[in-house]
This record gives sequence, C-alpha cells and structure tokens, in this order.
Amino acid sequence: MPQLNSERLKQPFYLIVHPFNGYWDLKYEWNRKTNLIVSLSILFLMAVTNIMSSQYSGFLVHIYNPAEMNSLMEVLYVLLPVFFWCVANWSLTTLMDGEGKFVEIFTSTCFAFIPMVIIPFPWIWLSNVISIQETGFYYFSHNVAVIWSLYLLFVGNMTVHQFTPSKTIGTLLLSVVAMGFLAFLCLLFFSLIQQISSFVSTIYQEIDLRS
Amino acid sequence: MLSSLYKARTFVFTTLICLLSIGSGSAVVNAEETPASYHYSYWGDAVASPAAYRATALLNGDSMGVGPFKEPNDIHVTADKQIYVLDSGNNRIVAMDSSFKPVRIIDSFDRNGKPDTFMSPQGLFVTENKQLYVADTGNKRIVHLDSNGKLVKVIENPESELFQEKFQFQPARVVVDKAQRIYVMAVGVFDGFMEFNSSGEFSTFIGANRVRVDPAELLWKRLSTRAQRSRMVMFTPTEFTNLDINDEGFLYATNGDRFGDTIKKLNAQGNDILRRTGYFSPRGDIAATSQMDASRLIDIDVADSEIYSVLDSKRGRIFTYNGDGHFMYVFGGLGNRLGEFNTPTAIERVGDHFLVLDKGLGEITLFETTEYGRTLNEAVRSYYRGDEEAAFSLFQKSINMNANLEFAYAGIGKALLRQGKYAEAMKYFKQSKDQPNYSKAFLLYRKQVLREYFPAVMTCMVLIALGTIAFRKLRQWKGGRERAAIEQ
Repeated sequence: MPQLNSERLKQPFYLIVHPFNGYWDLKYEWNRKTNLIVSLSILFLMAVTNIMSSQYSGFLVHIYNPAEMNSLMEVLYVLLPVFFWCVANWSLTTLMDGEGKFVEIFTSTCFAFIPMVIIPFPWIWLSNVISIQETGFYYFSHNVAVIWSLYLLFVGNMTVHQFTPSKTIGTLLLSVVAMGFLAFLCLLFFSLIQQISSFVSTIYQEIDLRS
Repeated sequence: MLSSLYKARTFVFTTLICLLSIGSGSAVVNAEETPASYHYSYWGDAVASPAAYRATALLNGDSMGVGPFKEPNDIHVTADKQIYVLDSGNNRIVAMDSSFKPVRIIDSFDRNGKPDTFMSPQGLFVTENKQLYVADTGNKRIVHLDSNGKLVKVIENPESELFQEKFQFQPARVVVDKAQRIYVMAVGVFDGFMEFNSSGEFSTFIGANRVRVDPAELLWKRLSTRAQRSRMVMFTPTEFTNLDINDEGFLYATNGDRFGDTIKKLNAQGNDILRRTGYFSPRGDIAATSQMDASRLIDIDVADSEIYSVLDSKRGRIFTYNGDGHFMYVFGGLGNRLGEFNTPTAIERVGDHFLVLDKGLGEITLFETTEYGRTLNEAVRSYYRGDEEAAFSLFQKSINMNANLEFAYAGIGKALLRQGKYAEAMKYFKQSKDQPNYSKAFLLYRKQVLREYFPAVMTCMVLIALGTIAFRKLRQWKGGRERAAIEQ
C-alpha cells in the first residue's frame, strides 16, 4: 500500500501552483496507484462540496429548494461529465497522436478540479456571514476557481499528450463536441434498449394471455 | 386483552393514514383541479390557498325588472356605488343603486331637437359628477351626456395628420381623467390610446405597445422576395384589450400579447411604470411553468392602494395584485355553477365586492369577500399606508389562514426590523425569499452581535498574543542559559 506521508499529500498542492512541473511529475515521476487514489478522493470531495454548498450555502447567494435537492444526482453531476470528458478526450487524442494513456487523462482531469474544491468549500460557511453587497467576493472567487481549473485542464492535457498549445485548445474544443455525440449515442442506445425490452415484454404478455 | 390490542392497532393505523394524507396534502396542487383557490409559490408551483372571494348572488335583467340583458359589454361603478351596465344588445344603459335597484334607463338622448339612439356601444365611463361617456361603436362616435341624460357633446370623425388613410374611428372603450381628458381605445388602432382634450379635439396617441418580432418569422421575411413579402402579415404592435384609470390619473391597460408584459400602468407620457417586484411579473396564470396557455387578459380594474385586478377570458379567472406586483388571490372560472361564467367580459369593484359581467348569459355575478379575503385586503392596505403595526398583525392573521402566502412574511419582517428584532426579521425575510431585505436585517444583526462580543474576543486575542510573546521570551531566556551552561 502506498504510504500517505506528507510528501504525497503535498503533491496535489504543488501541482496546482506549478502546473507544468506538476503535470510532468504526474506523468513520469509519481506513483500511478497513489495518483488514482488521490484523483478519486478529489472527485469524492468535489461531490461533497457540491452537495454541502447546495444545502448549506447562505441564503443571499443560493435560495434552497428542498423539493429539488437530490444528493445522488449531485454525485452524478460530478461523475458523469468527468467520465464523458475522459472518454471523449481519450478517443480523440488517440486519433491525434496524443501520448496520454486513459489513466493519465483521468488523473490529470481530476487534479485540475482541485481549485473547484478548495475555493468553494470555505465559502459554504463564509456565504452565511456576508451581506448582499459582499456577495461580489463570493461570485468573484468562484469565477477564479473555474478559470484556474480550466487553465489546469489545459496545461494537464498539453503535458500529458505532449501537444503544442494551439493543438491542445483544438482538442479541448473538439472533446466538448465529442461529449455531445457521446451523450446523443447514449440516449439513442438507452431508448432502443427500452423499445426492445418493452417489445419483448409485450410479446410475453400476449402469449401469456392467449395460452 | 385482545380487544385492547386490536384498538391499539386501529389507532396506529389511523395515525399512519392521517400522517400519510398530511404528506400528500402538502404536495403541489394542480391549478387546473382547484379553480377557486390557489396561489403561486416562489418556485412557480400552484399551491393551495383558501378562497378570498365567494359568489353570493346572480343578477340579471329579469330579476331586476328591466327586461333581460342582451350581450352587455361593460359595467361601471361610481365612487358612491351607483352601478351602470352597458346593455349593448338592447342599446341602452341601466343605472342601479348600491342595492341593485334600477334607478333609470338611458336608451335615447336628444340631439338638436331630434331623438338619437346608440348602436351596439362597447364602452362606458361615468365620472365623479355623473357625466356619462359612451363609446358608441356602431355609430363611430363618443357620446357625452350630463348627469340628467342631456347631450353635452359628440366626438366623431376626429382629424389629424397622425391618422392613416381610410381611418375609421371605432371607439371600443373610454375613460376620462379628472381634467376631462378622454382616453379612447379604438378598434384597429395600433398606436396606443387616443387622447382627446376636454373639448373633444384629438390631441395625441399615448402608450403604444412595442412591436415584438419572432426571429424565425424575421428570417423567412429576409429570405422572401418583395412580392412574397407584400402578401405576408405585417409586424404590428398588439392592440390593447382594455383600460382603466385610477384616482391619481394613471392609466392601467391590458393587452393581448402572448409574451412580455400584458399589464401596463401608463403615466402621462405613455411610459409603463408598473412595479413588477413580485416573484413573477403579473400576467395571470404563469404559463412558462405549467403546460397551459397564457392567460388572455381582457379587463382591468384598479382599486385603492394600487391594488388592481385583471380578468382572464381564457379560463374566466380574476387575478388580483398589489402595487408591488405581488399576486394576492384568484377566483372565478368557466362553468355552469354559481361563481363561474360563460363569457366574462368586464369586472368592477363595488367597495370590496366584485361584480363580474357575463356577456353570453347577460348576468352579473356578485362576489363577496371571505374572512381571508378581508384580512388580506386590509393587510395590503395598511402596508400601503405605511401603518406597519396594523400590517404586522393583519399579515400575521392572514398567514395563519394561508401559510403559502409568501409575500406576507416580508410584511411581518419589515415590522420586526423596525422594532429592532433583527434575528426574527431575518427568519421572516428568508420565508418570503426576500434577499435585499434579509441582507438589511442581517447587516444590523451582525453589527449587534459584533458589538456584543467584540470586547471579550479582543481581550482574548490580546491575552493570547501577550502569552505567546511571554512564552517565547521565557524559552529564549532558558535556552540562552542552557547554551551558556554547555559553553562553559
């Protein structure tokens, strides 16, 4: 079992402030198993942050509708886009001579979400003690978190696949398009499965009623 | 023993059933199923609400002894509760006193020595000193009679460069302000209301609706040729459907737009100054959230304290809003029972009661307030007057009758804020989803709490700082001594 010593815990924080070196180390130096554990815990923490912020954020920044709160859906809103993104990005970059493996894409994506956890998390409580004039800070820091994460995603993708910056931007945009295709195909697949299953069950009913 | 067990079991079962039914009762109520009483929550759901008005009487021409009404189009009530019904099919006006006894019937007037009559008039207005204005649509004129039914003036064939060619003056609704200016809603006029001065000369158009262009239609128009375009429907502003005037001389108007603001409050310049600070912009039923068509508003009635009501012809409902645009209550509906209509065309308030005129049946339905309606009306009035003490207790009372009345919590919150009970005020503002006022209360509360705890917190911090410094000094001194001991 990889040790969870202070060195390992420092790695993600080192990565978000030194993305170029950090992602290089992520790809070539650090232990893959540790990376995976850290990635999964980042995803877990992000889901927790989202759930808690929709439940406990201050009234001035978020009006809470208990009828529409669903923790499981919040978890899905984190997991599904990440999964889709990784699959789309992997499928594209394999065609476009990217050097990244699927695991590397997954870990680099997850590490890029660290700012989306460490900045919004304290704001869950801070947003309860601000006035409406001070909510500007809330929205500003959330925007900072998003921009920082996007930057990390960009650097991560570039380092993992050894692309040029312009090619990286191109693949990122194309990955978004590919995600759309994936979602469409999934919908198609599930609706077809539904049709087939309902067809089979109707036939079974008919035979059952006739006999 | 066995029977007691059985009893206990029945008790448990009944409790369970009660609990379950409570749970299902608090769920969202569908607006279609409960025509009489519902309210829109902050989230756009129709939630249960007690009825604010109840139909108590049905009046028709026969029961009043004036012969049946035939397609009556308009109704007007003066400040001293005289009721005027415009019986268009019979070309007459029936005036009644407040107890619905016919006072007189006006079906003709004397014009230059010859008797003259109306022809399918559509609109009627009575000023404070009983001057009668009739939009005599069939004869294409406006007739002004004094309180004795004598002709004062007739407005016909107005002339202006603003009119298009082949302009036909067909007035449909008319209101008059305190300075005797006449505002006319005419058929086929898209430029707003026609304003006439006191001597009956046309002065200007006021308050035109904006043209709303459908992007898809615009694209088609761009793609088509000139010949095709000339045969397409022109983009024209929508017509108004009705108007009313309040004591301060502001015009309240409804229009038939499918999108946008269907209720307008026009100032003298024709600008829309209606406050829309409610959870939803006032427009009848909220169409965007439920799968139903938008309301088609065809009449508006302004009461005191900026309260106004509109009539939806699509579902026969009457919606009432306060001056801030908060939805107060709804009643009415289409149907055959008392309190439901066939083709409602006009609404009017007599004091706090409502009269709804049904064109198809030639009947007037009288609605009277329930306990809830009275309380809510009074609460909104005292809030408008700035009487927060009274508003506080009245809103409290109406919330006890209808916990879903979200805007009432803000009224209570404001009174509490004034009394200095900030934490409690915050609770109420949160209930009514009122962020700006919540923030106001919160800032004061935060200041209060900080003032209270600042000395203690500051003392602690200074003590800790001093303690740390002292501790470090002590260690330095000790360490120095030890080092000195080693060096020796």
